[in-house]
Amino acid sequence: MSSLILPGRQRGLRDRLARLHWPLIILLTMIAGAGVITLYSVAEGSWQPWALRHGTRYLAALAIMIVTGLIAIRYWMALAYPIYFIALVALIAVPFFGEINMGARRWIEFAGVQFQPSEAMKIGLILGLARYYHGLRAEQVSHLLYLIPPALMIGAPVGLIFMQPDLGTALLLAATGIIVIFVAGLSWRIGFAGVVGGISAAYGAYRFDLLQDYQVRRITNFLDPDRDPLGQGYHLLQSKIALGSGGLDGQGYMQGAQSQLKFLPEMQTDFIFTIFGEEFGFVGAVGLLLLYLAVILTGLSIAMASKSHFSRLAVIGIVVTFALYVLINTGMVMGLAPVVGVPLPLVSYGGTVMLTIMAGFGIVMSAHVHRDQDAYRSGDIL
Amino acid sequence: MVRVNSHDPERQEVVTRRTMLLGGGFSVLMAGIAGRLYQLQILDHRKYVDLAQENQFNRRILTPLRGEIIDRFGNVLASNRKNFRLLFIPEQARDVDAALDKISQIVPINQDKRARIMREIRRRGTFTPIQIEDNLSWREFSKLNFELPHLAGILPDVGETRDYPFSEASAFVIGYVGAVTESDLDAEENDADRVLLRQPGFKIGRDGLERTYEKELRGAAGEMSVKVNAHGRVIEEIRNNAMPPVQGKTLALTIDAELQETATNELKDESAAAVVMDAVTGDILVLASTPAFNPNDFNVGINPTLWKSLNQSPYKPLLNKPISGVYPPGSTFKIISAIAAQQSGVRPNHTAHCTGKVWYGNRFFHCWKRGGHGTLNMKGALKHSCDVYFYEIAKQLEIDILGDVARKFGLGQTYELGISGQQRGVVPDRAWKRNYFAGSPENQPWFQGETLSCIIGQGYVSSTPLQLAVMTARIATGRAVRPRLVRAVGDLVSPTPEAPLIDIDEKYMDVVRAGMNAVTNEGGTAARSRLEDPAWQLAGKTGTSQVYQITAEDRARGLAKPEDLPWERRDHALFVSYMPYENPRYVCSVVIEHGIGGSRAAGPKAREIMRAVAAKNPASRPAIDPRSLVQRPMSTRKKG
Repeated sequence: MSSLILPGRQRGLRDRLARLHWPLIILLTMIAGAGVITLYSVAEGSWQPWALRHGTRYLAALAIMIVTGLIAIRYWMALAYPIYFIALVALIAVPFFGEINMGARRWIEFAGVQFQPSEAMKIGLILGLARYYHGLRAEQVSHLLYLIPPALMIGAPVGLIFMQPDLGTALLLAATGIIVIFVAGLSWRIGFAGVVGGISAAYGAYRFDLLQDYQVRRITNFLDPDRDPLGQGYHLLQSKIALGSGGLDGQGYMQGAQSQLKFLPEMQTDFIFTIFGEEFGFVGAVGLLLLYLAVILTGLSIAMASKSHFSRLAVIGIVVTFALYVLINTGMVMGLAPVVGVPLPLVSYGGTVMLTIMAGFGIVMSAHVHRDQDAYRSGDIL
Repeated sequence: MVRVNSHDPERQEVVTRRTMLLGGGFSVLMAGIAGRLYQLQILDHRKYVDLAQENQFNRRILTPLRGEIIDRFGNVLASNRKNFRLLFIPEQARDVDAALDKISQIVPINQDKRARIMREIRRRGTFTPIQIEDNLSWREFSKLNFELPHLAGILPDVGETRDYPFSEASAFVIGYVGAVTESDLDAEENDADRVLLRQPGFKIGRDGLERTYEKELRGAAGEMSVKVNAHGRVIEEIRNNAMPPVQGKTLALTIDAELQETATNELKDESAAAVVMDAVTGDILVLASTPAFNPNDFNVGINPTLWKSLNQSPYKPLLNKPISGVYPPGSTFKIISAIAAQQSGVRPNHTAHCTGKVWYGNRFFHCWKRGGHGTLNMKGALKHSCDVYFYEIAKQLEIDILGDVARKFGLGQTYELGISGQQRGVVPDRAWKRNYFAGSPENQPWFQGETLSCIIGQGYVSSTPLQLAVMTARIATGRAVRPRLVRAVGDLVSPTPEAPLIDIDEKYMDVVRAGMNAVTNEGGTAARSRLEDPAWQLAGKTGTSQVYQITAEDRARGLAKPEDLPWERRDHALFVSYMPYENPRYVCSVVIEHGIGGSRAAGPKAREIMRAVAAKNPASRPAIDPRSLVQRPMSTRKKG
């Protein structure tokens, strides 16, 4: 009975396991492996304090990803709005209950577990938008009236995160949301007008002192890093020196002088690509970039092969988030993007981001496993 | 409710198109990242490698050991010893104040010192080590090392500092070293040396030979690359391309440290000077001055109280009396007078009758012996140091001849010794008086009455103990001996030039020598100072130079004897001597400030010094060959 009603065939567990996208799992594992060996080097040849935990966290996150992937995509579609709203409520709660860390209030504690609502929102927003556009017809996408809900969906969390203040995550979230709307079919004209408006708004924020000092400084230092060699720009200069001295084939594993001598800040997190590039050189760094590109393109192909519109947009949202992380982080350590504190996915040390990324890829995996299942426009499960 | 399937080909087409566009966009951006990597890692690789090198390597200056100063037999007069220092790296101590509080429980840090430390931290940055204290005792140093785990930022360090094993005895010859000042830096022309001078705790020669031979003693800085981390902390010393420092040259002196110490001990209760010289070579064996400072106190940075007391002492412990002390030579000058008299035609058998005083011009000139000596010839006049005999000669004597002879015998001039502060003294003659009083109302021609004062070594005449020793050496040998203090710099030994004969008739000098022999050995003024050993027959001449003339009023007040006067008004006691009489080898001059009588105070001191010289006979022993020292390990040469 149910099989007649449900779009597509319900598969058994064994069948679903077989349909997992193993090349994607291998690619992600290789990237995480690069993270483990680099963290081992950063700790001057020690599993402590980072490398071992990074590896175990990855394995745990991988398990979560596979479990997520085995759950039918239509369940995720049904949970899309609830997840978005829970994340939004948590974000609203942050200013009242949040822990202050490094001058910003980002964390809240819930049932003894610390978590960052902004991370949950990265998934929540993507699911929410995908769910929204799943219910629209093609001609409705570019209708201004139908643009108001997604604009609010993006604007509310972006504003809240911006005020924490966490400029990097806010921009990342906004960019992801805009790209999802664009892929959903927004007309070029409206898209162009929106981008122009956004840039004007950013400039206005800068002019009218809406940005924190450190945010302004990051941007000005990005524009001219030589201005204060021992301040913010110093890190960028040191990062460029480290990468540059890596050369074609690198200084050798655990031989990166710049990094081993602590000339670099945040080596285990934001600047880890620098260490990788210093020790493995151009060959190694481009190799890592190719792994990332492979993940991105695989993700996009999964999106295109998915039968349900929700799957397509959700997968694209996840992949865009992932790609933006990679591009901003690598661009940042080379002086192509401001130093905004964005980690390199799966390589930088940090559990929350790893969990977010892998949970996201769980959605991608679910879309892949259930690629030939469609869903009702209403979002009903049954 | 109609369950509408989401399938919508139009929608899907747009998504597919735009996804491909997105994929292309990401690929292009990735390519851009790779291009940037190519630029950094391939095109600009060299530039960044150079920058990385600059980041990681610092040049560290290796301070050379200062050259040693040794005496003629290789005894060490100045060397280097371990200096236990306490350095502090503020960067490593989280709370500088708390750290200093903790340190002060072991090494006291007073308010001034704390202020200095804080100033230095501000000036030099938080990762440069700052010296908190040096010259720590072993006890303090080991305690600090023991407490090390609890004291953040503490760096106990062993440096080198100057050590003067003979302390006071060698103070004036060697001098001392002190901290580098701004003006030293300005005066230094050589860039490499200026870098060296800036090293923490570097010392520079401040006085004596340490100052004169600064360049030679300093040595040459070495260099080593050190790998540093981002905080400037040294991670690794790169030894294979290090340039080791070169120790400064050894300075070998003519001094005999043992005799120097003997002489200094002999004079320790007096304010006095003694010079012992090799009469043939001019090698200065002893250059003693008392009281003296301890140069080891100066290395550390002298404490102001000590400095003040040294400066204010009436015994002038900072004055190098043998070369800087200027005294009227008194009767020792009769050596010159007797020669000058013969030069102007007075025969040695010329006699004069001494009644104790002579009237000349408008006043009496007194002999030291009340009641007079009776009739004396020249030798007798020297033996008894009769003033009247010389007054009688002076009535006819041309002052310029006296001045000429005095200069021939080495008075009124300075010598190349390598230590500063030498005084010329005064050898008066007409030209001297003209120049000296030029423009003053006292500018008058020479009066013969002045010659009467000068002939007994009073009046304008003045000399240093060193000059008196030179004079004695010249009369003893008949040669224009020149004193010297430095035998060798590094392995460069300065040759001993044979002194030229003095342009004076040998017969004239024989008369003086016989007179000097009579002074000690024939019951003369210094009969008490004779040496019993016939091999070391000592010939001498006493001198008592007037500092204050006892006036008629003084006598009326009952001040007749010099002992009644306050110390600083008493006469200086002098004694010059040489030995052996027959074949002169050593000369000795002794001046005891306000010691009252040459025969009573100075003679016996000279005798004891000469006794020690005779016992050791340093000239008979081979002096050390500095060339043999070059390869010799330093530790084998200890204070002997």
